[in-house]
Amino acid sequence: MAYSDKVVDHFNNPRNMGSFKKDEEGVGTGMVGAPECGDVMKLQIKVQNDTIVDAKFKTFGCGSAIASSSLATEWLKGKTIEEAQKIKNTDIVQELNLPPVKIHCSVLAEDAIKAALADYQKKADGVLADAK
Amino acid sequence: MARSMCWHCQSEMAGEYFCERCVKVQPVSKDLDYFTCMGFPRRLTIDPRQLETKFYELSRAFHPDFYQNKSAEEQTISLGNSAMLNTAYRTLRDPIQRAEYLLDLEAGAVKDIRTSPPADLFEEILELQDTLDEYRAADRDSGAAATLCAKLQSERTTLERRQQDMEASLQQLFTQWDALQDRGEATDRARAERDRILKHMRDILSNRTYVKNIVNDLVATIS
Repeated sequence: MAYSDKVVDHFNNPRNMGSFKKDEEGVGTGMVGAPECGDVMKLQIKVQNDTIVDAKFKTFGCGSAIASSSLATEWLKGKTIEEAQKIKNTDIVQELNLPPVKIHCSVLAEDAIKAALADYQKKADGVLADAK
Repeated sequence: MARSMCWHCQSEMAGEYFCERCVKVQPVSKDLDYFTCMGFPRRLTIDPRQLETKFYELSRAFHPDFYQNKSAEEQTISLGNSAMLNTAYRTLRDPIQRAEYLLDLEAGAVKDIRTSPPADLFEEILELQDTLDEYRAADRDSGAAATLCAKLQSERTTLERRQQDMEASLQQLFTQWDALQDRGEATDRARAERDRILKHMRDILSNRTYVKNIVNDLVATIS
């Protein structure tokens, strides 16, 4: 089974690869892994006024995992926190045309988004608590 | 093994894989786990020779070659049984796959067997991946490449040692699991011990996969 053109494109020209400093203000970091295949994914968001202004990722894994996280960062940019919560792995599967054996890669990307959002929320709540 | 009825003569099944009355081969139930299928208890230490002997014995019993002159039903059963047997043997032969399989079997009973991801290990892997990329991009004859290569070599040694440590810990857990199985207690303490072993095993097996992947990548790049 060959990779779809979109997967190959994201793999060859990954969007938003890199990272932010973890403790930077407004940055949420999601770090997830798939124990079955050993893939590791780090996805970060930068939030200003409840909107994701930038997103970055670093993935060590197969082409589909890289493409899924690359696509996820593209989608995240410009979305509000609430909109970002709604990104589903099935959306990624559809966009990238992932075959059944690669669906877990999209699940990993969704988990990474959720983890990054949760981390941001935790940090934001902490700041609020400090301010009080 | 408890089974209901022979598919052919409808008599109650007493034999293992063959009806004692009409001698017809019986399909191995899809619900049967590989340990039971191969006639082994759910232990993590298995004598490979014993397993091989059992595999050959059952292979001879199920092999499609011996069913060429039999009915279509029997041929289908022989094919299905052989496929199941091959998978069972392949899974149980390898200690790591065996443990992974046992975890799958037992996972239903152990809630929340998946623990939090090892963030430190992930950071380390991603950092190492950056160094690997740097090395791949560097001119092979340059001093920078030599420095990077030396760094990667030393990382490789460290990671391989860690992999060995993990395998040693796994071996200990296997022994503990087997001892627990052999005691066969049904107390709360035994159950807690069982959950602890399974959870610990799950953690090490996952981390081992992450480490193994990066080691493979290191080896492929620098050697």
